[in-house]
Amino acid sequence: MEVEIKDINAIVQELGVAQHAVIPVLQAIQEKYNYLPEEALRRVCEISEITPAQIVGVASFYSQFRFTPAGQHIIKVCVGTACHVKGAGLVYDAMKRELELGEGKDTTASGKYTIEKVNCLGCCTLAPVVQIDHVTYGHVNTSQVAKVLTDFETLKGDSGKKKYRLADGSEVKGEIRIGLGSCCVASGSDEIRDAVKDTIDRKGLNVKLKHVGCVGMCHQVPLVEIVPANGESTLYSKVKAADVDQIVQEHFQPEGFLKRISHKLLNMADTIRDDSRWMGVDRYSLDVREKHVSLFLDKQIPMATEFRGIINPIDVEEYKSRNGFKGLSRVLKEMKPAEVVGEIIDSGIRGRGGGGFPSGIKWKMVARQPGPTKYVICNGDEGDPGAFMDRMLLESYPYRIIEGMVAAGYAIGASEGILYIRAEYPLAVTRVLQALDICREQGYLGKNIMGSGFDFDLSVYQGAGAFVCGEETALMESIEGKRGFPRIRPPYPAVKGLWGAPTLINNTETFAQISYIMKNGASAFNRVGTKLSRGTKVFALAGKVARGGLIEVPMGMTIREVVEEIGGGVANGRKFKAVQIGGPSGGCVPSWKSDTPIDFESLKEVGAMMGSGGLVVLDDTDCMVDIARYFLTFTQNESCGKCSFGRIGTKRMLEILEKLTTGKGTEKDLENLEELAHWTKKGSLCALCGTAPNPILSTLEYFRDEYEAHIRGECPAGKCKHLIKYEITDDCIGCTLCAQDCPVDAIAFKPHEKHEVDNELCIQCDGCRQVCPENAVIVR
Amino acid sequence: MAAEGSVLMEVIRDMGIEVPSMCYLKEVESFTSCMLCVVKDRKSGKILPSCSLEAVEGMDIISMDDEVREARKSALELLLSEHVGDCEAPCQLTCPAHMDIPLMNRLLAEGKFHEALVVVKKDIALPSVLGRICPAPCEGACRRKSIDQAVSICLLKRFAGDHDLEADMSWMPIPASSSGKKVSVIGAGPAGLAAAYQLELMGHHCLVIDRNKIAGGSLRKEVSPEELPPVVLKREIEHIAALGVEFRLGSEVDAKQFLELQKSSDAIVVATGKGESGVGAWGLPMHPKGVEVHGKTYRVGDTAVFVVGSALKPSKLAIRALGQGKEAAFSVDQFLKGQAVTGEPRLFNSRFGKLDRAEYAEYLKESKEGERLEPAQKGEGLTAEQVMEEAARCLHCDCRDLKNCRLRLYSDAYGADQKRFKSEVRQLCTKQVQHKEVIYEPSKCIKCGICVRLTEKYKEDFGFTFIGRGFDVVVGVPFNESTAEGLKKVALEVADACPTGAISRKIESL
Repeated sequence: MEVEIKDINAIVQELGVAQHAVIPVLQAIQEKYNYLPEEALRRVCEISEITPAQIVGVASFYSQFRFTPAGQHIIKVCVGTACHVKGAGLVYDAMKRELELGEGKDTTASGKYTIEKVNCLGCCTLAPVVQIDHVTYGHVNTSQVAKVLTDFETLKGDSGKKKYRLADGSEVKGEIRIGLGSCCVASGSDEIRDAVKDTIDRKGLNVKLKHVGCVGMCHQVPLVEIVPANGESTLYSKVKAADVDQIVQEHFQPEGFLKRISHKLLNMADTIRDDSRWMGVDRYSLDVREKHVSLFLDKQIPMATEFRGIINPIDVEEYKSRNGFKGLSRVLKEMKPAEVVGEIIDSGIRGRGGGGFPSGIKWKMVARQPGPTKYVICNGDEGDPGAFMDRMLLESYPYRIIEGMVAAGYAIGASEGILYIRAEYPLAVTRVLQALDICREQGYLGKNIMGSGFDFDLSVYQGAGAFVCGEETALMESIEGKRGFPRIRPPYPAVKGLWGAPTLINNTETFAQISYIMKNGASAFNRVGTKLSRGTKVFALAGKVARGGLIEVPMGMTIREVVEEIGGGVANGRKFKAVQIGGPSGGCVPSWKSDTPIDFESLKEVGAMMGSGGLVVLDDTDCMVDIARYFLTFTQNESCGKCSFGRIGTKRMLEILEKLTTGKGTEKDLENLEELAHWTKKGSLCALCGTAPNPILSTLEYFRDEYEAHIRGECPAGKCKHLIKYEITDDCIGCTLCAQDCPVDAIAFKPHEKHEVDNELCIQCDGCRQVCPENAVIVR
Repeated sequence: MAAEGSVLMEVIRDMGIEVPSMCYLKEVESFTSCMLCVVKDRKSGKILPSCSLEAVEGMDIISMDDEVREARKSALELLLSEHVGDCEAPCQLTCPAHMDIPLMNRLLAEGKFHEALVVVKKDIALPSVLGRICPAPCEGACRRKSIDQAVSICLLKRFAGDHDLEADMSWMPIPASSSGKKVSVIGAGPAGLAAAYQLELMGHHCLVIDRNKIAGGSLRKEVSPEELPPVVLKREIEHIAALGVEFRLGSEVDAKQFLELQKSSDAIVVATGKGESGVGAWGLPMHPKGVEVHGKTYRVGDTAVFVVGSALKPSKLAIRALGQGKEAAFSVDQFLKGQAVTGEPRLFNSRFGKLDRAEYAEYLKESKEGERLEPAQKGEGLTAEQVMEEAARCLHCDCRDLKNCRLRLYSDAYGADQKRFKSEVRQLCTKQVQHKEVIYEPSKCIKCGICVRLTEKYKEDFGFTFIGRGFDVVVGVPFNESTAEGLKKVALEVADACPTGAISRKIESL
């Protein structure tokens, strides 16, 4: 597309000529041309206060922006933590091979596809995930990438709709899970399974039947869990074979009806049916977590996620009917600002963004500053590659967050606030914008809110893709139209924040919980949790756990309870090895420390960190050196590049980890690694790089033997490509599938004979192991 | 205590305590990048960058302790691990006399033959002699060798020397005013002559004693007259004598005389050559090959005796003897001035090793294409035209900011080790030479952003900006414009403020 001067003029005219308009202007240009043509940027500089140095500096800082045209279709390979541990790196490599993209290339010669790695698509339970434009493929393995592309090609005409598809291209309407633990079997789950199969076949439904191990609720067996692709899952207990038909039909309907239903499904929190129509079986519970069933609801306490699965995110009447805005009304009509601050202090809530600073103290600091101009900022720049709670909260409970922010504005004496949301979360942005409009119409925002005389308004700022902007000072730099370089504190934002004014900046989850506190009082919040860590915390539970998803649990619950009771233990009969908590800033807590309670202090003690709430379960096939390398790759990519320790320290640590995972590491490297970790932690300017060594330090502490094994050239978990070999055992039946799948012809095609891997040729793509029907391909 | 609101670093500096920093520049907002200025908060034990913190009442700051020193050293070592550039050029580092070869080359290339000789004679007392007999280890280290052939450094030096010898009036350096001290130099070979030359220039009167009737030592005895015509040696020695150095030739020194000399001189330099001189009987501590001295100062114990050349350890390399003579002169000077005798200091040197093929073109930007020039006949020198052409083949490996580079000075002060965090892959060097007055070498950049802030402040049209992020961030002119476009207003200010030699003035001040 040719750059037309008038188009650029129009963009600048709409978004403003000020320097701080630079990011929105760049976003608009990219939206129009799908990259940033230099001509357009030069034009912007001619007609605005934005300078060439600023526009190039900013555009090259944020990963959202491209300087070369992207292909027609964007293939996003999720390399979030959960996808990583399930082999996303291999999928990415396989996809590049399939598209014949050499080193350093990301767009096919024909300009059809551009491939990119993304940090988290927020569907960790489908890992590994590949998204092409708006079609999402889950559970993709390396040998299926060709099929994925073929499937995408065949439905391109229909690419507008968002769909979940299996890697083989069939559209999955959902999954039916039947417990096959010993209690379930004893109570007749075999019979149920047959009935379900029969129903599926009879109706020609494309539903996956999945058996799960003991789910622990043995007193309610047999259990059937229905997990539709686009909606909430439901758990039925004490199911009888005769009920099956009705249950299945309730959730999955043959073609034709589907359209009507999916139209009705505004969002994942929608319910599928109402109680009145349901008479079939004893319903145990209707779950509220994304695509998953809670076995022990009483273990979870929804505060930030209150009424999950029940309320429509954008329906303000429904929100009100569930006591929405009651808390705000109380604040504005019955309380003085200082009392609000007092209530927050009493609640004991600490920031949910990771650091755990007491929110009340922060509020008090800002409230104390002289006005008139102050700001409230909601930090929704969630960047942990294994966490997506902010996204879910913004998408599902926009009013709750708005309510919390208005209360905050009142308490600290601000009249303006900003929701900083990643541009990668378009649905969250849309929902929040809609909700803001509705709030203005209904008098919850704007002048004289709820007749109280208090004026306050909110706007949305879209972050352009930089993990470091989750750091509060970098976030504010970014709003001011600069590169997201953190500033040194003090001065704290509470004193000198956005545009130099006192600024209250809290995490999304914090604001959601503030709403809860305002509505129910400090005591309702602080009676939950531990002495120093009050209330609940939302986690994204993913990885090698049987049931992943978003959970909200009281602080102080042990890791074991979360993994085993809520998550259903480690999947596929593997051995529980560790939990990675806190993402790139956190650490790996080994299984033998899983009685550690999840609260700010205890996690720190074991070398992890609350972080934003990513909780990735690892099993015995996960290599801890690889995990450390994975996180360092992430922090290194995301570091801002400002301070020596962060910029170079993280790079040198990553280089050493790469040496180790390729078997080239030495004892001396290990020593250097520890020194680098020490100084990077101690000397970095901000918390991003200051905590970046944590994944290394915690794995070194608990799994040093694995590091040492790598020095000897061994990867005990069989994960590190350069240190493993594939072999085919005598179980081989000569089916030739592996030979057909091998992208480099390292397995000769020998029908009915035992196959062999030529390790000279093998590129360790894992394809053969995945296609082998006899599990005859093993890693050594 | 300074006023509230002042920068902590300034406050500490005002107290007379040195705080290193590279990214701080008073006239622009601080940026907190290099992390050299860290200090420690006593209460929290945290390491804090003092350039970006306000000094407030009640602060309890430790400006230096082991941890602060180690933090600064680590920051330096991290910066050095990605600082690709040489301080001194490989040739100069290899030269035993540590002569500033690149500078000589540049002067010769411009036809400034006399200025070139001044540079040579700073370190080498006998340029015409060495220009004929030196095996030129410098040429072995010359980077140009990897592209085609080494620059003909030795012949260039010879030309500088010969050009002066053949002039109507040869150049005479002016010695410092007399210190009143007297040094006896035993041996008139290359080591002794060099020591006497340097000491005389420093203002200490030298008496050179040799048992031979003619000065020159091994230069006379071990080199054929075809290779080194005696007249060349003679004339260069005459120059040394003309400075005021006294010669007592044909005079043997035995143990007794040695004792007497010790009494009559303020210091003695022993440069008697290979063991035949009977030094063994003078009562000096010996090891199997020669006299035992302190390695760096050439001093015998804590006496006033210094030993150089083959008397220490036999060597055929005249330039080594000459270099030692020069170095010993430095120690003797310290000794005579009553200072601690530490020997000639060697500043920290950043080095990056071999050129990558991809860098040839970059280095040739400051040089001339073309093969090494050879004299018309073996044994002859180069003509003036040839010299200018050959000298222009030099690649300018040495840094332009040697004297003011803070990375170098601090690395030296903190004893930083460039190899500690060395990476296996290094950044490639590039040279951006389009600007008339300054040159930009991104591989030397430490990303302190001073240039970015200055060009923003002075409203350059393009200026410099950070491009990219993380480790891969580079500093450059937006839209790939040239440095000429980027720096229209404050090029020299930027070059002078750059803490390393990344952006530097093209024209060097001598």
